[in-house]
Amino acid sequence: MTKKNSDDKPARFSRRKLLQAGAATIGAAAFPMPGIAQPKPFAGVTLRGASFQHRFFTLLQNYIPEFEAQTGMKVDLQLSAFPVYNQQANLELSSGGSAFDFVNVTFILAARWVAAGLLANLDEFTGDPNLTPAEWKPKDFVEGAQVPYRDAKGATYGYSWEGGAMVMGLSRMDLMEKKGLKIPKTFAELQQVCAEINGTDGVTGLVSFQLHHWCLPPYIQGFGGNIFRNPPTDIMPALNSPEAIQAVEFYSNLLKNYAPKGVLTYTEDQARQALLTGRSNIFIHSSAWITPILLSNESKVKDTSRVVRMPAGPVRDFPAANSQGLGIPKNAKNKKAAWEFIKWALSPEISMRLVKEHGHSSVCRRSVIESEEYRKLNTVGGQDLGALYLEVLGLPAKGENYMAYRTVKEFPIVGDVLNKAFEQVATGQLAAQAAMNAAQEQAVANMRRAGTAL
Amino acid sequence: MSGGTGGPIRRPASVRRLVAIGVTLIVLLSPFLWLLQMSFKSNDLILQFPPPLIFTPTLQNYAALWQGAFPASFVNSLMSASFSTALALILGVPAAYALLRWAGRGKHALSFAILVTRMAPPIAFTIPFFLFYRWIGLLDTVTGLVLVYTSFNLPLVIWMMQPFFETVPSSLEEAALVDGASTRIVFLEIVLPMVTPGIAATAILCFLYAWNDFFFALILTRANARTAPVAVVNFMNYEGWEWGKIAAGGSLVMAPVLIFSLAVRRYLVSGLTAGAVKG
Amino acid sequence: MSGKGLVDAERRRFNRRALAPSLIVLFLIAGLPAIYLVVTSLTPFQLVNPGSSTDFSSPLRNYRLLPDDPRFVNSLWVQAKLSFWGVLFQVLLGMLLALLLHTQSRVVEFARTFFLIPMVLPPIVVAIIWKLIYTPDISPLYYAASLLNIAMPSLTSSVDFALTAIIIADTWEWLPFTFLMVLAALQTIPDEFSEAALVDGANRLQIFFYITLPFITPILVISGMFRLIDSVKAFPLVFLLTGGGPGSVTEVTNYYAYLLAFDFNEIGYSSAVTIVMLLLVVAVSLGVVWMGRRREAMA
Repeated sequence: MTKKNSDDKPARFSRRKLLQAGAATIGAAAFPMPGIAQPKPFAGVTLRGASFQHRFFTLLQNYIPEFEAQTGMKVDLQLSAFPVYNQQANLELSSGGSAFDFVNVTFILAARWVAAGLLANLDEFTGDPNLTPAEWKPKDFVEGAQVPYRDAKGATYGYSWEGGAMVMGLSRMDLMEKKGLKIPKTFAELQQVCAEINGTDGVTGLVSFQLHHWCLPPYIQGFGGNIFRNPPTDIMPALNSPEAIQAVEFYSNLLKNYAPKGVLTYTEDQARQALLTGRSNIFIHSSAWITPILLSNESKVKDTSRVVRMPAGPVRDFPAANSQGLGIPKNAKNKKAAWEFIKWALSPEISMRLVKEHGHSSVCRRSVIESEEYRKLNTVGGQDLGALYLEVLGLPAKGENYMAYRTVKEFPIVGDVLNKAFEQVATGQLAAQAAMNAAQEQAVANMRRAGTAL
Repeated sequence: MSGGTGGPIRRPASVRRLVAIGVTLIVLLSPFLWLLQMSFKSNDLILQFPPPLIFTPTLQNYAALWQGAFPASFVNSLMSASFSTALALILGVPAAYALLRWAGRGKHALSFAILVTRMAPPIAFTIPFFLFYRWIGLLDTVTGLVLVYTSFNLPLVIWMMQPFFETVPSSLEEAALVDGASTRIVFLEIVLPMVTPGIAATAILCFLYAWNDFFFALILTRANARTAPVAVVNFMNYEGWEWGKIAAGGSLVMAPVLIFSLAVRRYLVSGLTAGAVKG
Repeated sequence: MSGKGLVDAERRRFNRRALAPSLIVLFLIAGLPAIYLVVTSLTPFQLVNPGSSTDFSSPLRNYRLLPDDPRFVNSLWVQAKLSFWGVLFQVLLGMLLALLLHTQSRVVEFARTFFLIPMVLPPIVVAIIWKLIYTPDISPLYYAASLLNIAMPSLTSSVDFALTAIIIADTWEWLPFTFLMVLAALQTIPDEFSEAALVDGANRLQIFFYITLPFITPILVISGMFRLIDSVKAFPLVFLLTGGGPGSVTEVTNYYAYLLAFDFNEIGYSSAVTIVMLLLVVAVSLGVVWMGRRREAMA
């Protein structure tokens, strides 16, 4: 239901005005006022937004006509494939563009955009009672999901629509019970369980996917290391610490020995498929990708699945948490209209409707997650998925903000180096130590080349 | 190119040779055929292991494509390819003629410079174009794409049309010129009609190159001016690899190209070598 | 004669007017960007630092960083390997195919057209085709391997085979090019030589080595060089099949420059990488033109 706009003449400023006037006239004529003589506040505005394709937006598009009828504006939401969207949005915002009024702020890029001042400060909108009623409750958003969208001074530049709480899903409890295995709670136990299950009944012990800089840090932190020395203040990379090397060895062994062929190029969807069909036993990823084993109609393993906390490392227990959010580019043309949209899309009402009407539960409003209906829909076989989700999402705010590495604006550079280095280890090209030493050098060099003083 | 009957051991084809050719053809084309057959399978069949070779074909993938942004991307591809071809022809055909008849110095240097623009990897131009289009507002527009495509089609036209103009006997032109006709008239009314097959072939080649472009469209468009090749890749989305649609999309994107290029197969090599190898 | 002089002058005027628009347009849309590229390569331009686009304080900084950048050096090696093996197989297999089809037959002339298909497909579709073949879940290749009890690793995520996988796809795509060129060359070889050799008692192999090969060697070399120049542009295959990986095993220079510019937004540095690539392309192009002129001179 994406709308096309083939207007490409340079004189589009005046043409837009003409369009607006035309639209307003047509709008006024086409929508008979239902007795309430209220002028539509944004009549004639075309709101342009972009994101990557995700179920949230597909579902939201069902409700957008209501929003359009309410406000009078037209919403032109452009969805693209994940890598394509990220690159285009990053390019657009980095060059100060105004093609979009609202954008998805992907977690990978959130820190970079916030630190570089590419997004509008949303506190101006939430702080103004004329623009945002108190019932909207900005503080209702789960802390852990909001952290990436705040700058050093605490101002907010995005509101989260999706929370990624890293949990562990096990799809073949039947096999585990047969072999007398318990749910692993430590890294060592995880390895053991994977080893025992792998190969039984054609099932692989583990499945994962290609975003190593998301999957790997919990292991690095679990063994006591970190991506940077002490983010956000000390951003010297710490990729070749003994703990990091140990983590890389551990995780790469899991993938080398207990995962499906070609797992290194697996997308999330391929991994989820493997889990849903019971071809792999364990998958550790954001809950939205794991809970389908219990909740989705596609799942063939509903009766043999469990969703629990991921195992803890010997030193730390830091499951990753991330989020996707909506933000307004600094140079957007229709900021007020954009805020109206974001306000509506992330309102308690819409969030609740998504949960109730479509079973979409990775929303970020605490009030919704803790509600009765949510609990009812998301408790399966005695497993309270909502509570688990909240628990993990809230962890970074509870003590040490261990996800601070994500808020370093140079993280994409280091993450990319980490990805490549891990691939080299997992494919046997290099030993972990050699790879991580080289990665450390590369990361430092790349950061310096990009202008960071280290 | 179509000289001689002969060459070493050119005998009439033996049955063995024909069979060998047939088998080779099938083996060589099998990847392409695999894509085609997959476009007619539903997603469940595709994921089935072992892959069934006999199945009931379905058009659902093609139908599903027609509901998204695919038709619009097709239109974008069509427009950007056609307009850039037209522009390249209008500018390039007279230029090719002039270059051929050029008596002055610098002809080789000029030809070489033109060759290089043809040979440079797209990224050499994408960065400046991206920044410039950002500034002037041509990003994500068909106009922007037309300009970019002209940048590699214009050299192609100049290169390809020269050999065709060479086949026009200069005596014809000289005669007309001596009779008092202006060069413009000679060009338009005598030379041009004689090279229409060449123009047709060149036009189709330009269209093909513009249609097949992926890199420029990837960087210089968002969703409004997105072309068919980029739209196909867009199916490889975040939540599911829709193999059926991908195969169908790929098949659709290649259909016009296939038809046209088979029509101009004779000129394909000269187009690809930009005429640097004559004969 | 004054008559001819007038005609000449008028002719020159026409030539100028016919050539000028094209030259102007080419300068604007090809020349200017090239100049801009060179200028940008002298700055540390990054999109997020607005001032950096005009920072000429250290103009050769990017070029100095290049030799120390292991990823850049690696990309040159990967490119060299891809180009070498790709061109070699394209030339060899193209030649064999041309020899096979070099025969008198209406059927074969008709079938010849179909051999061109891989070359005319949009490169991204070629990438899609091979993506389908290299994806274990849905590929007939893996099914066949499992039937034969061969444990085939996922080629595009295997360090040893990823580049080979790309070379195979690239060769499949461009085989028709050399095939066409060699076939055309074969058809220009005069009959007398081979007839005379047959009369003298030479066998097929000898005829091939002593008559055919010398004749087509220039074509082999030239088509090889054209493919060499074009091989630098390899993008869709790497983009779709491996993303430069695993690690950086298939990261060709073109792809690396793309990542630098459009993922990391290091425009200045990416321009420097691109300039180096361009210089290599120009060098090979010069070689091609020189060889072409030599051939003309000899003919």
